[in-house]
Amino acid sequence: MSDEKTPGISRRNFISGVGTAAVGAAAMVTPGANVEAAQKKAPRWAMVMDLRRCLGCRACTVACKAENNVSLGRFRAVIKEKTMGTFPNTKKAFLPLMCNHCEGNKEDGVPPCVKICPQFPGERAKFKTADGKTIRYRNGGTYKRPDGMILIDKEQCIGCGKCIDACPYGVRSFDPFVKSGGDSTKQAVDKCDMCAHRVDNGVEPSCVNTCQGRARIFGDLNDPNSEVSKLVKEHNLDKGNNVLLPDEGTNPHVFYIDPDNLLKTLYTQRKKGKLDHYMDQIP
Amino acid sequence: MGTNWKELADSAKSRSDIYGLLTRVFREEPTEAFIKELKGPRLSGAFSDMEIDLGEKFYNDSKSEVVEALVLEFTRLFIGPGHHISAHESIFVEADSGAGGLWGAKTVEVKKFIETTGLEYGAGFNGIPDHVSVELEFMQQLTEWESNKWTQQDRKGAEYCLSVQRMFLEQHLLCWISGFCDAIIDQAEMPFYRVMADLTRNYMEFEQQSIKTDTAA
Amino acid sequence: MKKLNRRNFMKFTAGSGFALAAGLGGSQSAFAGSIKLQAGGRDFSPTTKKERQAIPSACWQCVTRDAMMGYVEDGRLMKLEGHPDSIRTLGKLCAKGQAGVNQVYFPDRILYPMQRVGKRGEHKWKRITWDAALDLMASKMKPLFDAGTPELLMYQYGRHKGSQSSIMHDFMDAFGSHTIGTHTSVCEGPKWVGQESLWGGMYDNWDYDHTDFVVNFGSNQFETHTNHIPTSQRLIRAMVDRNVPLYTFDVRLSNTAAKSTEWIPIKVGMDGLVMLSMVNVIMNEGLFRKDHLKYMRVSADHHASEADKIAAIKKHVAKFTPEYAEKESGIPAAKIKQVARGFAKAKSACLITYRGTVMHYHGADQERAAMLLSAITNNLDRKGGRVMGVGAGWKHPHSPKAKVQKGLDIANGFPGEAAFPTHQCSQQNLPMIKDGQNGRPTVYWSSCNNQAFINGNNKEAEEILKDEKLIPFFINSNIVYDETSQYADLLLPDVTYLERWDYEDMVSPTGVAEYYIRQPLVKPLGESKDQGEIFYGLAKRLGIELAYKTKEEYVRQSCEMTPGVKEAGGFEYMKKHGVWHDKNAEPNFGFYEAKVDVSGDGVILDKKTGVYWNHKKAGVSAADAKSKGYLGVDGAKNAYVAQDIDGTPRKAYPPNTSFTKSGLLDFYSDNFASKGFPAFPTYTPIPEHKEMGKDDLHLTTYKVAVHTHSRTSHCKWLSEIKHDNPAWINSKTAAERGIKDGDSIKVASDLGEITTTAHVTEGIIPGIIAISHHLGRQQSGIYGSGKKSPTTIDAAADPDAKNMWWKKHGTHPNSIIPNSSDPISGGQRWMDTVVKVSKA
Repeated sequence: MSDEKTPGISRRNFISGVGTAAVGAAAMVTPGANVEAAQKKAPRWAMVMDLRRCLGCRACTVACKAENNVSLGRFRAVIKEKTMGTFPNTKKAFLPLMCNHCEGNKEDGVPPCVKICPQFPGERAKFKTADGKTIRYRNGGTYKRPDGMILIDKEQCIGCGKCIDACPYGVRSFDPFVKSGGDSTKQAVDKCDMCAHRVDNGVEPSCVNTCQGRARIFGDLNDPNSEVSKLVKEHNLDKGNNVLLPDEGTNPHVFYIDPDNLLKTLYTQRKKGKLDHYMDQIP
Repeated sequence: MGTNWKELADSAKSRSDIYGLLTRVFREEPTEAFIKELKGPRLSGAFSDMEIDLGEKFYNDSKSEVVEALVLEFTRLFIGPGHHISAHESIFVEADSGAGGLWGAKTVEVKKFIETTGLEYGAGFNGIPDHVSVELEFMQQLTEWESNKWTQQDRKGAEYCLSVQRMFLEQHLLCWISGFCDAIIDQAEMPFYRVMADLTRNYMEFEQQSIKTDTAA
Repeated sequence: MKKLNRRNFMKFTAGSGFALAAGLGGSQSAFAGSIKLQAGGRDFSPTTKKERQAIPSACWQCVTRDAMMGYVEDGRLMKLEGHPDSIRTLGKLCAKGQAGVNQVYFPDRILYPMQRVGKRGEHKWKRITWDAALDLMASKMKPLFDAGTPELLMYQYGRHKGSQSSIMHDFMDAFGSHTIGTHTSVCEGPKWVGQESLWGGMYDNWDYDHTDFVVNFGSNQFETHTNHIPTSQRLIRAMVDRNVPLYTFDVRLSNTAAKSTEWIPIKVGMDGLVMLSMVNVIMNEGLFRKDHLKYMRVSADHHASEADKIAAIKKHVAKFTPEYAEKESGIPAAKIKQVARGFAKAKSACLITYRGTVMHYHGADQERAAMLLSAITNNLDRKGGRVMGVGAGWKHPHSPKAKVQKGLDIANGFPGEAAFPTHQCSQQNLPMIKDGQNGRPTVYWSSCNNQAFINGNNKEAEEILKDEKLIPFFINSNIVYDETSQYADLLLPDVTYLERWDYEDMVSPTGVAEYYIRQPLVKPLGESKDQGEIFYGLAKRLGIELAYKTKEEYVRQSCEMTPGVKEAGGFEYMKKHGVWHDKNAEPNFGFYEAKVDVSGDGVILDKKTGVYWNHKKAGVSAADAKSKGYLGVDGAKNAYVAQDIDGTPRKAYPPNTSFTKSGLLDFYSDNFASKGFPAFPTYTPIPEHKEMGKDDLHLTTYKVAVHTHSRTSHCKWLSEIKHDNPAWINSKTAAERGIKDGDSIKVASDLGEITTTAHVTEGIIPGIIAISHHLGRQQSGIYGSGKKSPTTIDAAADPDAKNMWWKKHGTHPNSIIPNSSDPISGGQRWMDTVVKVSKA
């Protein structure tokens, strides 16, 4: 810190002055009481999808492709659309899907994709909270960071594909652009990482940034004043019904404001061994 | 370690309070409640200790008369129409690119600086981002957070807050505030804003000294 | 005052009331408190985590032209986002905008000037230098210039806007040719013609931020619109945040219809009739508002009383009862009444229309009905209503004009085809060249216009382009080898919009203009070159003087001469910030009520029309002005000053387009009447539809959210989502023909037949078939057509090409849609074709 006092200090240094996450810097200088809770632990990042506002415009799908240079043939984020009813009483609805960044079941708090990863638990890693405190966790090919993000370390990944099968939502696929670090004959697994590289720098995920309907709301559930916390409270989203496949016990952290009950009528669980429900196509 | 956490916290809080007062002075026209507070025993005591004199009329006239007079003075000094002192950094600091003037390059720098800390401008704030009261309020926040850090005995956090303050003072507030105060002292017709400008200048010199001392330490 | 120091400082502040004082007096904090991630404005590499360089610029995937930020890493464009400070877009960008990166880096991009070596359409090319290309062009153009026949150079463009348009016109003026073809009549020309006949201007937007009720006819605003991102996000916000209802009349369950409060299926071509029946309901039930009547002209008399006007409107719409409309449109009369009442009773309401309404026979008149419905409810140019959009008013440099200024009359269709082609009749540009009766250009230069794909009967367009006798020298500026460029003699590598300079001016729905610029995010790839630079290269060779050498210089000068932008810091400011608007500007709602000073020299009142005009400015004597009157003097409309409204001169609706009219909204139009068209908005059945057989179906076309008409199929991220365009057909209509979902079907019109796939759905009315018109490319690189282009220098440019998985590329409907124009406006009648559909 002491040698960062010159006025010529760059913004990057400024941003990342404390700990790894620049969000940390932001939180540091955020007023007292509201943040007290958040400062004692890591944030818990979550997404609220307000289905009333989703226009099915696919800006999120494409923004994600661009932000993360996602290869053709697979997606990290998709919109499912479905036409229902009989003319003239026909309806069409849209359902955005992404990795649910599951908390995992009540017993061990480890989501199925992480549990099955042969590389998990790997080495000890440190997560710096907003106020510079350290939380230790185990990394792996796939692992859960203390702020709730389910991430992939492509260096550690061995490309076995077990997590692809273990995810009940089918959001994972092999990245044809990247070899797995653990086995150079295989491709690494890839999926939505909530744009950790942006969030860690204090910027919203790319799909959220571009959502014209503002159907995607991203934020910290541990901050009672965040918009996601308020929405979860206002719409009772934490009762277990407003997430995908609640019976799987995965405890997803993508919540849906769903007045028309689309999660039930529109979502179809992936067929075993197949990922074709996770392709974004306009009929 | 002989750190007196409380003393450090109090000192930061005091700075925050002064910044808060000055923010209030320059943000908008005074209200009766504000005048009442300034006339109150605690503040008037502190003022007289410092030999700060707001003038006879300030203390003798009724609150509503004082407010009425100061509203006119505030408008004449800072709002216009016609010749007035535009209380914005970008007006006082000529940018190299010629991007000066209202909502100039400096405005954007200030806005970005402030937003980088995680703060955002409130929906109800409809001024320009580099208004003097915004910069003062930003310093109020930074010093308050610093105070909180000392209270939590978080030296690293507090020093970090200090480093942000230092950067903001050196890059922005100190670059123009004395020029701004000079203009007020020159153009004020009543003692109130002249004295407040003098106090501001006085305090900012103190801040500048403090920064130097801190850096040396 | 004592000097503050460490010792007295604490004493000064300790226990004082400063903390309390600061919180007093209702002074609001400038800051909001809680943790907040920044929405955008910065981006980072997901792999290296390094911050990317952020450069403000402007999108151009579609005509909406959102202000945006480009993010660059080591000179390569990585990402695009909405500009966080834009008052129009509020930091948002659509799917097409997000895929803009694909425009720069796709494997089939044209990167070098190419000269044809085989026969036209034989796809044999050789690469030449820019000097050789410019020499070749100059060698064809110089003789035209020298011989005083500049009109034999024709420039045909699609989307040229902002400085891209003005610099082109500047060059053409410097050369002297007015032979310029556009494309608007295949998009929405009839809409503008209808509006211009009333407003004297055009481009409707809607104040969704303040509206209480929205009715939509034939517009797919949530997926695609000429002002998509600025408008659609405000509409969904109004719906969810303020429970504003949206009723959508459409033949098809578009995403917009799907997100509406109610989708009201309507038969093809009935929009105007239903609107008039709504007018009928509102007038007869006394739900109309009188406020706007004084600005409306509804009969031949310019001075009719309020009572007369009300009576006249009632009389005009008397026959359009909801019951009659029900019979024709298939919409229950009760539903029409319900929506009409809701619309009229709402505090403010917006009426949307688009291609579904206007790309028909008498499409321009349908738009007039929409304006009527808005006006009688006082929802025109008011807060919360349908408003004339406000765009930036840029100034730009002008080069000296050539002495000889001439143009061929080939842009406005065949003689008698269209009465008011104010936005041309561009679908007939090539057929007019083939016909030859008004002459033919010898040098034909097209840019950003794929005539052989976007027009009706596009196969004929191809044949004309192929014929060297009809078009002796054909230059095409392009980034992709397409249906048109394959027949060029000279192929010029254009820059993409991500590599060029422009000032931009698309309208803002908030009533406050936004000024913004486009700047290169990366250096032009290969030898691609901006038109502006080509103009300079040609001017040098032709001995023409231009006021600029480069496009950058042109934009710089424009920034330095445009009021507001100039004071803000001009070009340097715009480079740094990208956007500018006047912080003190108020929305222009109610602009027509502005009082006007008519004391100026030469200003007189025309008794007949109530127009104040300046006879001196019009160049006629006072006596002439009096005897001939405002309507009797050519060009008098350019000297319009004000309209007399109940004794007060007001701005009203100045005739700013080619329509000569008073300052009133001409719902009774002498212009229309003089050409034998209905003077008052009415319902005119579509001729082809009257003769339909029992088995005949209507063919309509539409757009989806992820493609523009013809310029995005090579964008891999878009074509991956939408690469096939099966024909939508109602399950009942399909069953009658034994067609099942996914079946191969034949669609035949008088012009020809296509084979495509059936998408059997409940989301479309019976009796029609709908085919989106983006796809079915014969060229457009591997992502668009599966074919590599012969100009490809390095097809391995995109390592992702090997991951391309789709094999279908769709079927283009335009080859069975004839070029046929709305006789009023010259608009292409996309929605009037009658077809037979059968299982293939």
